[in-house]
Amino acid sequence: MYRMLVVGVCLCIVNKALCNVISGEEETGSGRYMIEGRVYPPEDQESLTWQIDTKIHVNGGEYIGFIKDDGSFAVHNVPSGSYVVEVINPDYMYEPIRVEINSKGKFRARKVNYILTSQVIQVPYPLRMKALSRFRYFQVREQWRLTDFLFNPMVIMMVLPLLFIMLLPKMMNDPEAKEDLKQITNMAKMSELPEMSEMFTSWFNKRSPPKTSAKTKQIKKRQ
Amino acid sequence: MGVLSNKFKPNFLGLLKFINSMNWFIVFFSLINLSMCIYEDQIGKFDWRQTYIGRIKFAQFDTVSTAKKIIVATEENVLAALNMKTGQVVWRHVFETASSGNIQLLHVADKVTSVTGSNPYLVRGWDTNTGILLWEWSLTLQDDYRAEYAEWWVQNGMLVNLLPFFGSHLEVSMYNLVSGSNRGSTSKLPAQWTNEGCVLTAPYYSCVSGSAGSQLLLSLDVTSKAVQILSKPLSDFINLNNGVGGELRELDGSSIPGFIVDNKKIILLRNNKFEPLSVEVSDSTVSAGVVDGVEGPMLLQIWNEENKAFSLRAHSIETGKVIPEISSTEKVNIPEPDLLAGMCSKSGREQHVCRLLVGAADDAVHLMQQAGRTLWSRQEALANVVAVEFVDLPVSDTDAELETEFGKEGSVWSAFTRRLYTQYQQLTKLASGLDSAEDSAELVRDYFNLHKVIMLVTQAGKIFGMDNLSGRILWERYEAELNSAAALVFTRRAARHPPADAVVSVIGKHVDTGNGYIVTLDPLTGSLVEEGRYAASARLRQATLAPAPLATGLRALLLLDEDDAVQVIPHSAAPLVENMYMYVAEKETGKVEGFALRYNGKELTAVRTWSSLPGGAGARVVAAVAARAADVRSPGRALPDRSVLYKYTNPALLLLVLQRKDRGADEVVSVALDGVTGAVVAGATHRRASALPLAVHADNCLAYLYRNDKHRRVEIATMELYEGPTRWSSPGAPFSSWEEWRAASVRRAAYVLPATPTTAALTHTRRQIADTHLLLGLSTGSIVELPWALLEARRLGAGPAGEGMEGTLPYTPELPLPADAAVNYNRTLERLAAIHAAPAGLESTSLVLATGLDLYYTRVAPSKTFDLLKDDFDYYLITIVLIALLVATYSTKYFASRKMLKQAWK
Repeated sequence: MYRMLVVGVCLCIVNKALCNVISGEEETGSGRYMIEGRVYPPEDQESLTWQIDTKIHVNGGEYIGFIKDDGSFAVHNVPSGSYVVEVINPDYMYEPIRVEINSKGKFRARKVNYILTSQVIQVPYPLRMKALSRFRYFQVREQWRLTDFLFNPMVIMMVLPLLFIMLLPKMMNDPEAKEDLKQITNMAKMSELPEMSEMFTSWFNKRSPPKTSAKTKQIKKRQ
Repeated sequence: MGVLSNKFKPNFLGLLKFINSMNWFIVFFSLINLSMCIYEDQIGKFDWRQTYIGRIKFAQFDTVSTAKKIIVATEENVLAALNMKTGQVVWRHVFETASSGNIQLLHVADKVTSVTGSNPYLVRGWDTNTGILLWEWSLTLQDDYRAEYAEWWVQNGMLVNLLPFFGSHLEVSMYNLVSGSNRGSTSKLPAQWTNEGCVLTAPYYSCVSGSAGSQLLLSLDVTSKAVQILSKPLSDFINLNNGVGGELRELDGSSIPGFIVDNKKIILLRNNKFEPLSVEVSDSTVSAGVVDGVEGPMLLQIWNEENKAFSLRAHSIETGKVIPEISSTEKVNIPEPDLLAGMCSKSGREQHVCRLLVGAADDAVHLMQQAGRTLWSRQEALANVVAVEFVDLPVSDTDAELETEFGKEGSVWSAFTRRLYTQYQQLTKLASGLDSAEDSAELVRDYFNLHKVIMLVTQAGKIFGMDNLSGRILWERYEAELNSAAALVFTRRAARHPPADAVVSVIGKHVDTGNGYIVTLDPLTGSLVEEGRYAASARLRQATLAPAPLATGLRALLLLDEDDAVQVIPHSAAPLVENMYMYVAEKETGKVEGFALRYNGKELTAVRTWSSLPGGAGARVVAAVAARAADVRSPGRALPDRSVLYKYTNPALLLLVLQRKDRGADEVVSVALDGVTGAVVAGATHRRASALPLAVHADNCLAYLYRNDKHRRVEIATMELYEGPTRWSSPGAPFSSWEEWRAASVRRAAYVLPATPTTAALTHTRRQIADTHLLLGLSTGSIVELPWALLEARRLGAGPAGEGMEGTLPYTPELPLPADAAVNYNRTLERLAAIHAAPAGLESTSLVLATGLDLYYTRVAPSKTFDLLKDDFDYYLITIVLIALLVATYSTKYFASRKMLKQAWK
């Protein structure tokens, strides 16, 4: 029991020493600390100067960090507290991370959760920020494809009856049905649609409208 | 059969009910469309962005790299590189807005060095070409109190910091520029002669010291090993009248250290000696600098002559003669010019090639060459826009003719000839329009009223007129006496009263007196009209427009001054004012007062009708928004059960967001007041929260943002006000604030916003029939468009159990901010300050201008463009299909008749 206690004390001392060393390194006077990390660009990064478009915002721009050529960044002169560190890039999405610095200068980094604010999922510190995905700002234009057109319900609605009318009579070689169909086709006369030539004659030759009507009658009789 | 129907009836009814509810879902999902982003090929079609950097503080030419640049640091805490040929931004870094981002030093050698902050300082090195950070180290001065007097410069690869202790000594520290290591620590130089009027012209520190009559001019090279003070009586250089004087002003952008004494004499410091120049100082307001030229160093002086002419004078230092090739006087108006940087070199034919970067009091920056010709100008005042107004354009002349055609008297024949004539005119115009490429410069209203003029009032007192479609500056006007810090802009007459022109008034303060100062101008040309410049005799508390226009179509301005007296401009409009109420909210005390304006036959008086402290004593008003004057054409919302929930549309409703301390904790109080009676309509408090100055209000919807200190997140609270299932007044009757016996029913909700907002606004359509969307400007530089359906207080479960409504989205505490809701896609907008929305002629469309460091204009369609054909509508396809159908019909008919004939012959 006694030994354990000693061990515990020792650990504490070691820990304290470590703490002092860390704060000695990072403290820049009057309780100011430095948040460090590194931003990893997406693999398919085509732009050579992604460093210039990428910025580190701490608490929505209260402190701003810039990225060096190798992707590392440091935000200086931050007092102890709780901060949300965001990587801002116009084209790629990065996950924000909450960094907490206690009054002794110990750092803890965890995932940001705005709903369950007390939930702690730790992430390594110094921060390693990796691009999650590319932002999709734009809608994709619909392209005209034949399959889309064919499987359109309107088209199917039009094409299927046509198939029924055209193909079914040919498939069933029944004379009676043929007779019926003939009757149907006869009934659906083209008389609804005016004959092109007749239209023109009626336009230009306005004197003889009764004549044209007689003519149509004749045609009907002949049929 | 009866049995069957009986058996089926309940089921059938159930089926009907089911279909009905399904219907609702279908209707609901088709109405609320949550994605409203644009297509990739529409980039830049409806929008434009202009990047600015702010008023320039330091500038240096980058002469090292091949692509010539100017490196600038600005008052807006921006470090940027400008292309020397075009003036466009090559790269730009925006530092913190607070004092931690203030730029103290800019030094350009092969690398750019900047010192930012105010104790602790940050020293950063940047690559000149790309702008990438190279090194960075932090520096804290022990003496925090003295730090504001600290001076910085770079010498031989060392950063030098000078800390003056006036009347005692100077502390000089040197640091390695790249690593920050302090070599040789700090040296203390005794200097009892220092005072607050001293100037630093690196590496010399110069002062005028001593009692009147025996003043000495002293200088000290603070970086040299040996302390050697240069000292001469001041009277050796200038004639001192009454023995006092000796005001020192350093030379701007100079290659040789030097200063101007009492705006009269220029003294250079060369070879550790005072070297007074024989060249006269041309003007007391002159800005001067020494530039290396072809034949030795030259002194450049620029100033603004009385008759508004920019003057440039160059003298050779060795000979003291004027160099006529460079000197000139140009008829351009550059108020208070300031020589930021200068560079002269030799061209192939031994000619002077000079480049001068000239700043001005109106925040503009001009790059000039020898003989005063401007190569390019940047209007940096636009980095600080305080007020925006969208102004309608007048209809074109022929359209105006057409509109007035039917009003004219005359016989049938004269009307007919007029008709023919206007149609002939239209035809010729069409023909000429086809002939020459369309002239977009013409400022006439288009069919959908999408083309407008944006009037921007800036912090510098400069007013701009801008074409909204192209972003081109139409006119600019610098009002030196206008303090536009909290300026208001009112459109007093729109352009739809031809032949009368549009009139807009800008109400601000006078720079010196703080009294009201009004500039009235024509928004299309920028020329002063009506009252022109009007200086009120008292400070103003509130201003608004009179409800009824005069016979000329002009609406009067009503100004409430600090003595609660009312001024009417023009005075003749006073009898027209009736049933007019005003409110005044005092920011610091949290006091809100209401005034009724009464006309007593002679003059207009303001009677205080109510006064209240909505947040209690000690509260501070953070945001106050009045309902925007809008023509609301949708009085209610249809509910799933086919009843109507009527909106509480009070045009005098006022939303106040206050911050107060309650039992040690910060508290946010929001109150919706009736501006006429002062009655509280709705309210809410949020414990352990701090208010943000972001509140929006339109129709019956209120929203405001606050920071939840407990959970360290930003929340948005929304309120909706309803009259209930029955209308209070008959349809069409105006709302009356005096019917207080009925209380509006209030629905509230709050949502978590997973971002830091900097500004908020609601979309504005002409009749408010299209949906309202919330536009949120975020610190990340994007503008997010959130449908009100997401913020709705009626979302299921938002209120106490069962209060949520069918036909609304299920409640989720966190608002989604998808990337496709960003209206400015990847065009990041730095330091968004405000978003302004204005209606277009189309009901579906709202015009949006975002201001901040950048300007961004776009248009949004909250309910999609239901009144416009899609812009990818395929006219060719539909024409081809129609023609093909026609051809097919007639050809089949022809073939059918032929077949018939053949059959008949058989």
